Amino acid sequence: MDEPTLIRDAQRGDLEAFNRLVLAYQDQVYNTALRILNDEDLAADAAQEAFLSAFRALNSYRGGSFRAWLLRTVTNACYDELRRKRRRPTTPLEPETEDGEEVESPRWLADPNLSPEQRLDQEELEHAIQHCLENLPTEFRAVVVLADIQGLDYSEVSIAVKKPLGTIKSRLARARLRLRECLQSFRELLPSAFRLEEESSL
Amino acid sequence: MTTSSFRDVEQLSAYLDGQLSGAEKARLEARLKSDPALAALLDDLRQAQALLRRAPHRRAPHNFTLTPKMAGIRPPVPRVVPALSWASAVAMLLFVCTFSYGLIGQLGISAAPRLAASEHYGIGGGPAMAATMAPAATQAPIFPAAATQQPLGTQSADTAVQQLTNGTELPTATPEVSTMKAFVETPTLETRAVQSPGVALRPRSELVHPWPYLWLGLAVVLVLAALIVRWSSRRSFLRKHKSG
Repeated sequence: MDEPTLIRDAQRGDLEAFNRLVLAYQDQVYNTALRILNDEDLAADAAQEAFLSAFRALNSYRGGSFRAWLLRTVTNACYDELRRKRRRPTTPLEPETEDGEEVESPRWLADPNLSPEQRLDQEELEHAIQHCLENLPTEFRAVVVLADIQGLDYSEVSIAVKKPLGTIKSRLARARLRLRECLQSFRELLPSAFRLEEESSL
Repeated sequence: MTTSSFRDVEQLSAYLDGQLSGAEKARLEARLKSDPALAALLDDLRQAQALLRRAPHRRAPHNFTLTPKMAGIRPPVPRVVPALSWASAVAMLLFVCTFSYGLIGQLGISAAPRLAASEHYGIGGGPAMAATMAPAATQAPIFPAAATQQPLGTQSADTAVQQLTNGTELPTATPEVSTMKAFVETPTLETRAVQSPGVALRPRSELVHPWPYLWLGLAVVLVLAALIVRWSSRRSFLRKHKSG
């Protein structure tokens, strides 16, 4: 069944149709939340909350990119979570070494299908990206996650964060500039594949 | 970078995303050829973007599908028997009818004898009244001494004086008056039967209609049918969503 039909059925209250949309978009929604929040449990909660809100507000969807509309709900859920976090700061549940120091690249994030070398590259890359994203203001972070990680175009990002195209363009430029500076500090830790790309581009 | 303004960064970022118009793109490409710092900045931005695009894509830790309970969906009312959607209203109406009938019946018991009397004895001057009064008029007098006497108005003063001197009481009422007194008193079914042997009276049990019991039974059946259909539809709804 195609997406517009599923959306129409879901708008009439067909939960099964909506759940098929959930299955199609849940990875993207979860990843968006994970990159904005940098916490697996909070990201899962935000994704679940986003799908629930989306189902309740489905009749407000008036066409256009459904993905952008759905990612707006998860972005809002993430903003709510970050506001809550700011009010009540908590200690992150990240693994620590025997000395009580935080593990640089947590192995518990690893994909078991990758070779040890690939896994290490992935972990380094993920850590670098996540660290740099976390140093961005929330509104810049959401824009760059949606555009560069999720691959949304400007109009979709505009729908997702409810800002005009000019604001998206400006925020994206600022975010990329800051990320560029941050990622340069991780140059030695970046995956070899990235370094090769870097060399070839010069 | 030192020579590049934020406007340049915006242009470069939009250029990477293919968001510049034809003229803007041509102008920027011309500048890039003549400005190595601007070209280096473009490379940096491109690398940052490429790096972000290579960020590991995680799978959702579990399915985020919604259950009917989470979504606050209640099982739909079965449309196979639309009449059952009115079952509760019909049942209520039948209950009200039943109890109203019972209440009216209770209130009617006190009024029933008078109504029955008017029906059977014909108050207001009917043949039944005449039939009832006739035996009363011919029956034996209550006061034997006055049984053969003339009407009170025709009695002479001498006779009255004589009766007083003989110690005989004067009659206080005529036999007709006594009969009327007896009639005004509420008669029982038995006395009525005796007083009017020509009229057949039915026992009270035969006067109660069976309708209230039928209504009550029908109401109970309707409610039970509605409950069974609702329960079975809810069960099939939950089974369907559980398996899905």
